[in-house]
Amino acid sequence: MSAAGAAGAAAGYLARRAAQKERVRLLYRRALKDTLNWAVNRHHFYQHASDLREKFEANKHAEDLDTIDRLIQDGEASYGKLRHPDPYIVPWAPGGSKFCRNPPPPAGIEIVYDYGREDD
Amino acid sequence: MASALRGAILGHVRVPIRTLDRSRSLTCLQTSIRSMSSHGDDHLTREEVVDRVLDVVKSFPKVDPAKVTPDVHFQTDLGLDSLDNVEIVMALEEEFKLEIPDKEADQIVSCPLAIEYIAAHPMAS
Repeated sequence: MSAAGAAGAAAGYLARRAAQKERVRLLYRRALKDTLNWAVNRHHFYQHASDLREKFEANKHAEDLDTIDRLIQDGEASYGKLRHPDPYIVPWAPGGSKFCRNPPPPAGIEIVYDYGREDD
Repeated sequence: MASALRGAILGHVRVPIRTLDRSRSLTCLQTSIRSMSSHGDDHLTREEVVDRVLDVVKSFPKVDPAKVTPDVHFQTDLGLDSLDNVEIVMALEEEFKLEIPDKEADQIVSCPLAIEYIAAHPMAS
């Protein structure tokens, strides 16, 4: 019973760690995208991306679950402040400039080009 | 005289839209194919996709280019971190002008997965 309890606790611990790792990856991805959005020239992007990676690496070896949770929360709060107001989105994606721009017309509907010849 | 009046009236009347009559063969072919649209002509062949993906992975600074084959796993074979994985996926997004949703970007952990995803994506260019 204690073994089952320990296994259950270990599974819960691993599940929490996995969820935290996923949150960290998501946060890193979004922060990197915003770094790309904010960087005016490409070398600025490389510099800021390295700084971001340093910040993530500095907290890499935290062990306690609550500390990790708090670090992730702080990271997400600072990410929320640094979001770009007009991010670059690929044109055909939702939010991009070409999204829904020229949808293909419904099948069977056509304009018949017989201007002036309708009575023929 | 009637044709002039008709021309004047037709200048102000909208052309009605009606469903295509199948008896008019050639004109309907020209109007159903959007010949001047450049939508969807960026079809990539699979070798192109493989080559470009491998180039992106090889040019990653933390990767040894000799070890990169089309079936490496980023974390187990190339010894990369999960954050490095995120960086590689972002580099692939930039290379192929894709927008990968976050959930699917998390799943791309190896070269064959990346190649499959990009080759199956309709808007990869």
